[in-house]
Amino acid sequence: MVYTRKSPALLILGVILLVHGFLIGGGYLGGILKYLGIEKAAAEMTNLSYAFGGIAAIFGLWHWFGSHKEGRLDYYSSSVAGGTFILFLAMIVKWYLDPWVAVVSHAIGPVAGPRFYLHQVLGLNYIVLGIVLGMLIVNVFRIPDWAQNGVRLSRLGLKSGVILLGTLYSVTELAKLGQLSVVMIGVFVLGSMWLVLLIGARRKASNSMVGVLSAGVGVCGVSAAVAAAPVVKATSEEIAYTIGTVLVFGVICMFLFPIIGHTLGMNYTQFGAWAGTGILNSAQVAGASLAYQPTGNLETLKVGEIFNITRVLFLPIIVVWLAVWYVRRETAAGAKNVQMANTGQIIFEKFPVFVLGFILMFALTSTGIFTPKMIPFFRAWIVWLFAFGLTGLGMQITFAAMRQTGGEPLVIGSVVGIIKAVLSLIVVLLLVRESI
Amino acid sequence: MRDAHAILLASHGTPGARAAEQAAFDQCAAGGRVHQLVVVPDFWKGMLGDDWLNNAAVHIRFGRYVESQLEREIVEHATQVEAEAKRRGLGYSCELRFGKPAECLAAVAAAGDYDVVVVGSPRPKGVPGYRSRLAIETLVKTLKAPLLVVPYPGR
Repeated sequence: MVYTRKSPALLILGVILLVHGFLIGGGYLGGILKYLGIEKAAAEMTNLSYAFGGIAAIFGLWHWFGSHKEGRLDYYSSSVAGGTFILFLAMIVKWYLDPWVAVVSHAIGPVAGPRFYLHQVLGLNYIVLGIVLGMLIVNVFRIPDWAQNGVRLSRLGLKSGVILLGTLYSVTELAKLGQLSVVMIGVFVLGSMWLVLLIGARRKASNSMVGVLSAGVGVCGVSAAVAAAPVVKATSEEIAYTIGTVLVFGVICMFLFPIIGHTLGMNYTQFGAWAGTGILNSAQVAGASLAYQPTGNLETLKVGEIFNITRVLFLPIIVVWLAVWYVRRETAAGAKNVQMANTGQIIFEKFPVFVLGFILMFALTSTGIFTPKMIPFFRAWIVWLFAFGLTGLGMQITFAAMRQTGGEPLVIGSVVGIIKAVLSLIVVLLLVRESI
Repeated sequence: MRDAHAILLASHGTPGARAAEQAAFDQCAAGGRVHQLVVVPDFWKGMLGDDWLNNAAVHIRFGRYVESQLEREIVEHATQVEAEAKRRGLGYSCELRFGKPAECLAAVAAAGDYDVVVVGSPRPKGVPGYRSRLAIETLVKTLKAPLLVVPYPGR
């Protein structure tokens, strides 16, 4: 199959970005930047527009006029169009839509106390707006054919963002957060899995359904459900129900958590710990954390992602445990020839390699190899990588998949998900006092 | 009434679809044929949702697993429908498509020469199953053959 589409779209995007860079660099859009209050971003806007506009224009010429044959070059080169499409949307949101929403919100006036405006209370910043825009595009319009193959690049953006995030921690911070996250994630992952299994058994749900749901609700949402489904031999209907339920719950939490956090006046560490524990989907932990604190030193993201990484590291162990649990339950119920999944292969496939990149970046930072001047540069890149990744993530959340929520997974998943979110909130408010 | 010689049947094994199967067989004239269309709904494309953690190997394994599950369920069901057609001395063929049910059904109906298109009724509220409804309006706008919508069992 040839993935590259002969289309002028990428070239057009490239030219738009180059013209944008020229207009900003030449000061022609000074009035707009002043109105939006983003004059300080002019240099970044110029540089990024030129850099990515240039890349897009070159690849755009190749896509439109080149001859494409099936192969790796075609596969990877075709993804540039989709990647540029996501980046283009992220740029519109970050540079124009987010500041404009803030301007409108300030014009409305404070809504909660003298300092909190509507966009802050609702968490309407470039992260949330980017995800919403992505969801709108995939559900209301559609992702253009020429961009289809690049949407998956958003995963690369998120993983690269986590890796680079490793540069922002000190040894003390990581040790402190690591201990806290292992205790909290350990208790809440195992606790919520146990609760799903318990309720499932009481309601006489099938082992396969309970198994896939416990992974989705307990560990890290869709990623865990996808990993666990083949291991517990879930039926197509059980998979659809579980993923639908987890997606709906995750999207609601991503929008609701920052509002609750602001209402309760939680500090960055408290919110990051709560989001990292209580939100079912790990990608939406990053979304909620950045929605809570979109700028500055990114403390919330730092805390939330440590919790996320801890969850991810639990995944292979949990999937292996589910494999053993499933075989035992089925055999005890009288089933014959229930085959055990290859546990060695599970651990190998599910090990999150990008965590090694995170550790490497942290280790390099600890040696002092990066000068303090480089840290703000890394921080800016992290913000862009997450903005890119989360906008693309929005493009993969379809209402059609969310609509599949139902049956036992909806009942059990909602009960356990709500208990997990409320209990983790209480624990965080009572026990997490420090900030990083 | 057994006057249809070529019937297009949309069925995927739910109780509503089973009622449609019965109606299709009852409508089919002796020596006639039933062509069954099974649609795998396109919401499956979004089932990797926001899964950003797993690598390509896990995605491929998951995709293959879902495909094999769907295939097993479809083959199991189609075998039963085929056996019933054989028992009644009717011709039978089956076709699988991926997409939106109404669009797929309209396309298959347009490509063949059918006397009637038979579909089941939507699942009543509270009955478990996929949320992938047949958009009747889309279908009737394009269909050239008569459409028979069979009531849900028990209605």
